Amino acid sequence: MSITEQGLLERDKDTMTLNMGPSHPSTHGVFRVILEMDGEMVLSAEPEIGYLHTGIEKTSENKRYVHVIPMTDRLDYLAPPQNNLAFCLTTEKLLQCEIPIRAEYLRVIMCELARIGSHLVWLATHALDIGAMTVFLYCWREREMILDLNEEISGVRMMTSYIRVGGVMKDATPEWLGKVRKFIDYLPAKIDEYERLLTNNPIWLDRTQGVGVMTREEAINWSLSGPALRASGVDFDFRKKRPYSGYENFEFDVPTGKNGDVYDRYLVRVEELRQSRRIVAQALNKFPDGPYKAQDNKVSLPDRDTLHTSMEALIHHFKLVSEGISVPKGETYVPTEGPRGEVGFYIVSDGSNVPYRVKLRAPSFMAIPGMCHMMSGSFIADVVAIIGSIDIVMGEVDR
Amino acid sequence: MTGDEVIEKIKSSVGDDIQKGEVDLGDAVIFVSPENLHKVAQFLKEDSQLNFEYLSDIRGVDYLDQDREPRFEAVYELQSFEHNHAVRIRVGLEEENPSVPTVSDLWKGAMYPERELFDMLGFDVAGHPDLKRLIMPEEWEGHPLRRDYPLTIEDVAFSHNRDYKSELVKSKPPTR
Repeated sequence: MSITEQGLLERDKDTMTLNMGPSHPSTHGVFRVILEMDGEMVLSAEPEIGYLHTGIEKTSENKRYVHVIPMTDRLDYLAPPQNNLAFCLTTEKLLQCEIPIRAEYLRVIMCELARIGSHLVWLATHALDIGAMTVFLYCWREREMILDLNEEISGVRMMTSYIRVGGVMKDATPEWLGKVRKFIDYLPAKIDEYERLLTNNPIWLDRTQGVGVMTREEAINWSLSGPALRASGVDFDFRKKRPYSGYENFEFDVPTGKNGDVYDRYLVRVEELRQSRRIVAQALNKFPDGPYKAQDNKVSLPDRDTLHTSMEALIHHFKLVSEGISVPKGETYVPTEGPRGEVGFYIVSDGSNVPYRVKLRAPSFMAIPGMCHMMSGSFIADVVAIIGSIDIVMGEVDR
Repeated sequence: MTGDEVIEKIKSSVGDDIQKGEVDLGDAVIFVSPENLHKVAQFLKEDSQLNFEYLSDIRGVDYLDQDREPRFEAVYELQSFEHNHAVRIRVGLEEENPSVPTVSDLWKGAMYPERELFDMLGFDVAGHPDLKRLIMPEEWEGHPLRRDYPLTIEDVAFSHNRDYKSELVKSKPPTR
């Protein structure tokens, strides 16, 4: 064997380090993964995060409770109402505040619309990553309608800040509810359309079945949550098992997978689109009357028209706007079910109007090590499918 | 199990290893010393009646100026899917050299949050296989989530603000 041939053989054994990202389309934000490759095979994957680091937790320690809510929008920016809700529920638990049923229904409608919107963006980008362009455009079209609904009720398309401590920002009009109803009636045919394009598509099956497999035990051990965990066969949904915000009043199923691969995660999320739609439809059917915010003037602003006649209302209004809500001393955590999994804020209050410590439990952050575990032993082409199937949002990873 | 039952069960089994157990705002909370953390965590995971198979989150709190001892705390949130209950472990840490043992051998999901404890609060996590900065750059000095971490504005490198830059950069703890 000549020296050159020997050299070539030795070089064949060498592994290659490949940097993926931080701007790869499938990394959905500023995520970089350093892959150790043997040919097309990934031997190990080392994630690197922190490009976006916004310091939201630190900033929250210097802002009043009310002012933290718009910042929570920027965490999981595909489903802002979910983050608002998680923060408000925890604050309300510390305040021991009673929420009117109409506010709870409005919260549920907004959160489920956000879940639909978030899953649509996921399906669009995930399909695009794997090479299906049409689904991308279809999903974007439907998501646009949700953004229109957001705009009409809160004035903002994405960062709604709609859910507030004590209730919601403003009441829904019958016209808006009618438009939600129209959207809900329109959606099922569209979901069927996505499924017709993908579910039995041989290319889609080849690219997703048996890829990025996570067993039930592994998924639990690596702290996956939400659809990624349920695709591995864990029947756990906070909306069902530990209901919050009146979710116990709604009938819906929790879809689970068997194999824990990319395909099962796809199926679980598509089914969740239908279930979320079902929840919104029920909420519209039995939409209750009553106030849309807590009738506690220490928590929510008094009604606008009372300001002209009631001195007490004026004082409360002034105090709430100038000082904010004072939250009793204590610390607590309320887990909620976001589109990506368990979202919750751990809030430590020192009794003042500014939270002492705010810590977000971000499902995308917790899923990243598990996601990289899935990549080891797969092909480079599968890496894109795996990242897409976990549906990470970097806003909540680098908070 | 309800929160009270979880606390009762833990007290009756490893009561000597925990400092205190209580139900706070409906959440089951136990207080453990760093020395006993791993033992208690292993028991919580492996006991069939408790079965805390899932680590939800780990977070650190800095109680500077809160008139309490010790200054730091690491807080662990555990869930059981089978029994649908949860428990929170609070581990008090001394100001000098705060250190907790790793639980990443019990729950792989602890890898990242433990690195975050190290990065953002400066806790040493003994036995962690890959303890290094996570969100901040490698060469970063200090731990941003500590309460006495100076809040400064970013040093913008333009010549026209050279004179008043020193006024803008303040080194003081956050104000309320």
